[in-house]
Amino acid sequence: MSDEARVLPGQGSDHPYLRSALSHCLLMAASFVMLYPILWMLAGSLRPAEDLFGGGASLIPSQVTVNAYPQGWFGLQVNFGHFFLNSLLISSLATLGNVFAASLAAYAFARLKFFGRNFWFALMLGTLMLPYHVTLIPQYVLFLNLGWINTWLPLIVPKYFAVDAFFIFLMVQFFRGIPRELDEAAQMDGCSPWRIYYKIILPLSLPVLATAAIFSFIWTWEDFFGPLIYVSDMNLYTVQLGLRSFVDSSGTSSWNELFAMSVLSLIPIFLIFLFFQRLLIEGIATTGMKR
Amino acid sequence: MSVSERSAAATGTGESAMLARSFRGAVRRNAPGYVFLAPWLIGFLCLTLGPALVSLYLSFTDFDLLQAPNFVGMQNYVRMATADPKFIAAMRVTFLYVILSVPLKLAFALAVAMMLNRGLTGLPIYRAVFYLPSLLGASVAIAVLWRQLFAADGMINSVLAVFGIEGPSWISNPRYSLYTLVVLSVWQFGSPMIIFLAGLRQIPTDMYEAASLDGASSSRQFWKITLPLLSPVIFFNFVIQTIEAFKAFTPAFIVSGGTGGPINSTLFYTLYLYQEAFGNFRMGYASALAWVLVIIIAIFTAFSFLSTRYWVHYDE
Amino acid sequence: MSNFTMDRRRFLGAGLGVASMPLWSSVPGFAADGAQLRMVWWGSEERARRTKEAVKAFEGANAGVTVASESMGWDDYWPRLATQVAGGNAPDFIQMDYRYMFEYARRGTILPLDQYMGSALKIADFGDVNLKSCSVDGKLYGANVGVNAFGTIVDTAAWQDAGVAAPTYGTNWEQYAEKAAAYGKAAKGKKKYASADGSGNENLFEGWLIARGKSLYKDDGSLGYEPSDAAEWFKFWAAMRKSGGCVPADVQALYKNTIETSPLTLGYTASDFGFSNQFVGFQKMNKPALALTAQPVVANGKPGHYLKPSQMFSVYAKSKVPEVTAKLINFLVRDPAGAMILGVERGVPASPAIRDALIPQLDGPSSEVVKFISALTPYVGPLPPAPPQGAGEMNAALIRISQEVAFEASTPEAGGASLITEAKSVLKKG
Repeated sequence: MSDEARVLPGQGSDHPYLRSALSHCLLMAASFVMLYPILWMLAGSLRPAEDLFGGGASLIPSQVTVNAYPQGWFGLQVNFGHFFLNSLLISSLATLGNVFAASLAAYAFARLKFFGRNFWFALMLGTLMLPYHVTLIPQYVLFLNLGWINTWLPLIVPKYFAVDAFFIFLMVQFFRGIPRELDEAAQMDGCSPWRIYYKIILPLSLPVLATAAIFSFIWTWEDFFGPLIYVSDMNLYTVQLGLRSFVDSSGTSSWNELFAMSVLSLIPIFLIFLFFQRLLIEGIATTGMKR
Repeated sequence: MSVSERSAAATGTGESAMLARSFRGAVRRNAPGYVFLAPWLIGFLCLTLGPALVSLYLSFTDFDLLQAPNFVGMQNYVRMATADPKFIAAMRVTFLYVILSVPLKLAFALAVAMMLNRGLTGLPIYRAVFYLPSLLGASVAIAVLWRQLFAADGMINSVLAVFGIEGPSWISNPRYSLYTLVVLSVWQFGSPMIIFLAGLRQIPTDMYEAASLDGASSSRQFWKITLPLLSPVIFFNFVIQTIEAFKAFTPAFIVSGGTGGPINSTLFYTLYLYQEAFGNFRMGYASALAWVLVIIIAIFTAFSFLSTRYWVHYDE
Repeated sequence: MSNFTMDRRRFLGAGLGVASMPLWSSVPGFAADGAQLRMVWWGSEERARRTKEAVKAFEGANAGVTVASESMGWDDYWPRLATQVAGGNAPDFIQMDYRYMFEYARRGTILPLDQYMGSALKIADFGDVNLKSCSVDGKLYGANVGVNAFGTIVDTAAWQDAGVAAPTYGTNWEQYAEKAAAYGKAAKGKKKYASADGSGNENLFEGWLIARGKSLYKDDGSLGYEPSDAAEWFKFWAAMRKSGGCVPADVQALYKNTIETSPLTLGYTASDFGFSNQFVGFQKMNKPALALTAQPVVANGKPGHYLKPSQMFSVYAKSKVPEVTAKLINFLVRDPAGAMILGVERGVPASPAIRDALIPQLDGPSSEVVKFISALTPYVGPLPPAPPQGAGEMNAALIRISQEVAFEASTPEAGGASLITEAKSVLKKG
């Protein structure tokens, strides 16, 4: 099912072109507003350093230098490609764990009855409320005792235990929107909970699974505090740590290189987004949801 | 054993046998739930609960990060309640931020999601464009960008000048600086928008077809079909965005340079917490601040859940 | 800077190495008889490059010693270091800052270095002043990495265009205000103001207090000035704002204590106040040529300048290899083999021998800094009393209260009074 065919009936009008043109104008203006800061960053990556801060908000550089890109890529002790690979690896592994583990827990909360379910649900939500700066130190000590400091383990392994309650809650809300009759029908046919989960709930939840995958990937990619605390070896740095190496507020920062590499680092996550949003949009309208 | 007892034991109708059976039944009934829950439960008990309890303990100490903590009882909480003007400033700023940014953000997210759901040409591009700002979340570049936009000679004022309005320095004036952070939050509405889109996609089109055949207008369809069926997702976004807004840290940190200024006008609660923990070496007090925040958020969330029976429709 | 070679083989090798390594801990060093030491500092990429090169030289000269280094920006440095200390896991070699040094030393987190003086640390030629400035309660806690002084950074061309003589050594505060007002009237173009609003600048405030015979703090840790001093200070800057000599409140509020947010860099003013070791950074971010000169002085007052360490190198109290760490410190600050590589990037070296050796190789802005320190040294005063616990909060309070006065939410007198009241509660907590 493509994007185009999703025009809902009853929403045509007498002036389709006018309406469409108006929508486009609005959307394009809004897009420019959305993109302006990113365009400014792109311009900043092409300007000489002295022009960056005195020049106001203009988008056109007075002088174009592409120096910032090779300097940013190769200028740090470890080249930036390394950081991209590291981030890709960490984000992919974490996303896999997150989506899978969260869907298991969400299925339990949304579909299964068991003693203490509401109690655990409340606690699960509770984990969303604690600011991470305070659990930081005890968690650090925990991982220190496990010997996981200066590895990626503290960033990846907890995801396989559904530590991000956001995704559990998200999936619970979506699972509860799937009609129970399907479950009941399957149960009467003798299906076990695992089969129902695997054959019915998961396939019907592609939009939310894709959404969770997008968010999980992007948030892991963007996370810097975790890697900051747990990773010391520059060869293990993620993209965010690499970006922050360009900035030292106590002295000089390499702003051009920062902007250049920030622009580059948007590309992979943008591509992930484009890839997964296909799944998101392949709705379930044609997969037998008739009531 | 008596004859009756022996026969009861043999046929499994005695008290102990019935208890054993009901126990086994209970296990069998609850097993699937706990098996599915197991990964989360293990993670929770081993990785989350421990550190959370330690931080609760630390809130009753004078832990300064560099030395071992000493127990001081309720001292931190007393100070918070009686002798901390910055605490009050932080609460006020944070509540204002939540009240302003969450409804605006959700409104934009829903409006744009609905527009994008309608099938325009160039849809995937627009969708990506609206999501792009959310990818810049923790970027240090945001501080620079926002200053370029909202300083006295920034772009916003250049645009306003076209209409003859002379704007103030939005970002460095204590009266307006918080609003620039609200704008920053709303600018990044891409995340809830994507979730709304996924929710809209889950509503079957035949419902709309049937309603059209019955002659329902598109506005009626919105209120009677879209909103109710979307309500679980709206509820989710509402709760999550509010919790995130209460816990917001990075925007205030990078835009105010960690100061929460000017004059505490951008002193988000977690920023204040961070200053106390790492700037003033008062991690014990910061832990107390964190737990007060947890309680506030928990109360709010509990009320939200209680309200669901009035407006959220699950298909159950 | 072309220190890179696009070596595909090396990239692949590194990639494979990375792919196979990350899930296991960083392997502890297998140096035969040598020590393995971890070091950490904050700074820019330039500093990282120089430091790693110097460290490699150290490893070369000390067979068997391996050094694992980490570096990051200032904002990330302190939470990370504190986390590591809380876990008992901090690196052996720690770069320290003047204010934090007191906190870390008094809590026993860094090692007193007196025991290494003369043996591993041969820094006696730094002189009493530069050794005392890195001491807490009489014990030496760090090796002075760079001598720093607080001064005024001036855009000479802008002052020339306005036809007003720029502030220089010996300009007193009244003259400074007059010049600034004259500049404000004569200036066309974007740089409308002569001066930044220094009312919230603790270093400037300190220089003004010392010149009047007061100080920020006394030896016993109490406040070294009166409400009337603070009120007079705020009044001076209120007058400056009114006369158009310095920037208005909402421009100064953009300043976040970084070079990029300085009103000078942002193009509003023809001067700003800063530490000498920021001068090179300032020049990098500003197109016009800048000059470095002294702060305004108090007519017939005491010398308001003093020499501060820009940063120092310290040893973690729980380090297992303190002696080797001390040797590394010495290598970087006193041994020409190391110190010449570091150059003046961290500040003007405290050792006269190293300083003299470096002068020939310096470029324009760097030699300006050395000239400034040398010109200033005969006229500096002694180190003021050490900042007590709570000094950091007082700094934040000064900024906030100065903004309240600037935005006219408070008067100079009220501001002065509330500064003292806040000090009483902050410093008591100790």
